[in-house]
Amino acid sequence: MKRLELRNVRAYYRLLIGNREADVRAVDGVNLEIRKGEILGLVGESGCGKSTLAKVMLMNINPPLFFKGGTIILYTRSGNSLEISKLNREKLKKDVWGKHVAIIPQEAMSALMPTLKIKRIAYDVLRSHNPDISLDETVSLLTKRLKELGLPDYVVDRYPFELSGGMAQRTVIAISTLLNPEILVVDEPTSALDVSTQKLVIKTLWSLAAKGIIDSMVFITHDISVVRQIADRIAVMYAGKIVEVAPTEDIIFDPQHPYTRGLIDSIISLEPEVRKRGLRYIPGQPPNLINPPQGCRFVDRCPFAKDICRKKEPPLIKINNDRLVACWLHVKG
Amino acid sequence: MSRVYKFIFTKLVILIITYFIALSIAFVLPRIVPGNPVQSLIVSLASGSLSPELLSDYQRRLVEVFELNKPLHIQFINFLRKSFTGDLGVSLQSYGEPVVSLIARHLPWTILLLVPAIVTAWFIGNYLGARASYKRGSIFEKVTIGAGMVVSQIPYYWLAMTLIFALAVLPRELWGVDLFPPGSAYDPVLQPSLTLEFIISYLRHYVLPFLSLLLPSLGGWIISMRVIATMELGSPYIFYSDTLGVKDKILFRYVLRNSMLPQVTALGIQLGFVLSGQIITEQIFNYQGMGILLTRALGVRDYPVIQGVFMILIATVLLANFIVDFVYVLIDPRIRLGHRRD
Repeated sequence: MKRLELRNVRAYYRLLIGNREADVRAVDGVNLEIRKGEILGLVGESGCGKSTLAKVMLMNINPPLFFKGGTIILYTRSGNSLEISKLNREKLKKDVWGKHVAIIPQEAMSALMPTLKIKRIAYDVLRSHNPDISLDETVSLLTKRLKELGLPDYVVDRYPFELSGGMAQRTVIAISTLLNPEILVVDEPTSALDVSTQKLVIKTLWSLAAKGIIDSMVFITHDISVVRQIADRIAVMYAGKIVEVAPTEDIIFDPQHPYTRGLIDSIISLEPEVRKRGLRYIPGQPPNLINPPQGCRFVDRCPFAKDICRKKEPPLIKINNDRLVACWLHVKG
Repeated sequence: MSRVYKFIFTKLVILIITYFIALSIAFVLPRIVPGNPVQSLIVSLASGSLSPELLSDYQRRLVEVFELNKPLHIQFINFLRKSFTGDLGVSLQSYGEPVVSLIARHLPWTILLLVPAIVTAWFIGNYLGARASYKRGSIFEKVTIGAGMVVSQIPYYWLAMTLIFALAVLPRELWGVDLFPPGSAYDPVLQPSLTLEFIISYLRHYVLPFLSLLLPSLGGWIISMRVIATMELGSPYIFYSDTLGVKDKILFRYVLRNSMLPQVTALGIQLGFVLSGQIITEQIFNYQGMGILLTRALGVRDYPVIQGVFMILIATVLLANFIVDFVYVLIDPRIRLGHRRD
């Protein structure tokens, strides 16, 4: 059932403020599972730690970010489970990255090595995993994948700067999935693109899953209207924590966490029930993650805050068959 | 491709204009310094047994031969006109020896010293700098960067004198060992030839001036490369390739490749500085290259020699910069193909 499981995962940025070291708790106790064959949307506002969580899921953690604790388990197609949070860099590089998990970064253009042709970039990826592969074999593999994703084959002989934004984004998708990884982590793939190109990129991503090239996908975005088009479930992140996880339609039409509700209410939408309600926004600012509030992190912005919300952190609990919420309003007793 | 030709053409035009401006300055500057070459020649002759009448006659003839009585712009035009035919005039001091042959005698020593020093420093310095940046936080980084910082800030001349003291004078004084000779390009009792004896003597004389040029420039490359490479290492394409499992060896090659590009430009700029350092270095080591030729000519206002030397030096720096610009076009696809886009 599961593909990737995160248990109480914490990753902090260590900063030097004056002479003192301070930790920014960007990912602080995340519990999340990515299921077989699903597309999980991860939404949250800027600075909530969603891009950091993407790096942590892949365990590619570089200073000043460091892994504070928790467990990340990968379940491969062949049925093995691998605790990737215990592996060192060399092992991850050899056995995990590119093969089982891959990333589509925020800006495709700058993610491609600027002074090499696309085929050389792909060749470097493939020969790192298989020293015997030739450039010709790479080109035929890449051309095949590009064709599957609806891209012209002349892309292989282009330099990255010779591609348009949407083309570069889809080329990155092709390169990332050359080794058919089980899990693709997609980080804001559409934020730099215009709406029609966004649609194209989302179609491309969706066809990856439909064709079985990848198995599961984590789609990170701040834009709920984008994630709604593609995700099966949505996880909502706030100030380094997951506050709600539920099937997409439930999140959109029946948000349970006050923060999720705030997010949904702030979307411009043409649907009648949303139109009637009118457009709202969440007052205030997210908390400082160096010294987060003791209880619920949303407490200062929450219209329903109770005493207990300031004192104790709400646990992420199951409130009905497929919905998790971290809010004291939903804790009985 | 026409864009490349246009690029080269524009650069070439700018190069020629720059050359003439630099040449004019080099022509005018020695002439506005008080004193003139004929005067200093006459003074040196006056200590001999020539009669005053003969001396003043001689002085007048010299002024006429070297056209020093003509207006400055006429002198300049004549100089340019002649230089196009390869005639740089004759030296005032060296008993009428043609400037061309003087330069031909001194230039090879300078080139043989300078070019290997520049190229070696560039390659080693950039490699060490990139390596240091890649091995961030390691002992290797700390030692390399520390040493680079110190060495790059040492003035050429001070380092040259320190090297002479430490590796030539001190061993001889303390242990009576002739480790390295303190000056000159080869043993003065030998004649330049392709014999083994001469080559060994040449190489022994070569080490100290070579090091005094190499080390400061090496340090400079290490420091600047570390900065550039660190920036490249933090860029998205390294993170992306890393997360796709691309081998560290290949990632280092990416960093090296992209960080080298701005360093190619910097090489052209550095060349001018190294060249001026070379003039002082030759002075300190009494190394018979262009630096010595120039300083001697400047001392007695030997205009034709000064002009000739500057003509070559300026041309070298400009040409090197031009070649560097051109190489950049060849090695960076973003500049070469910048116009092609879908």
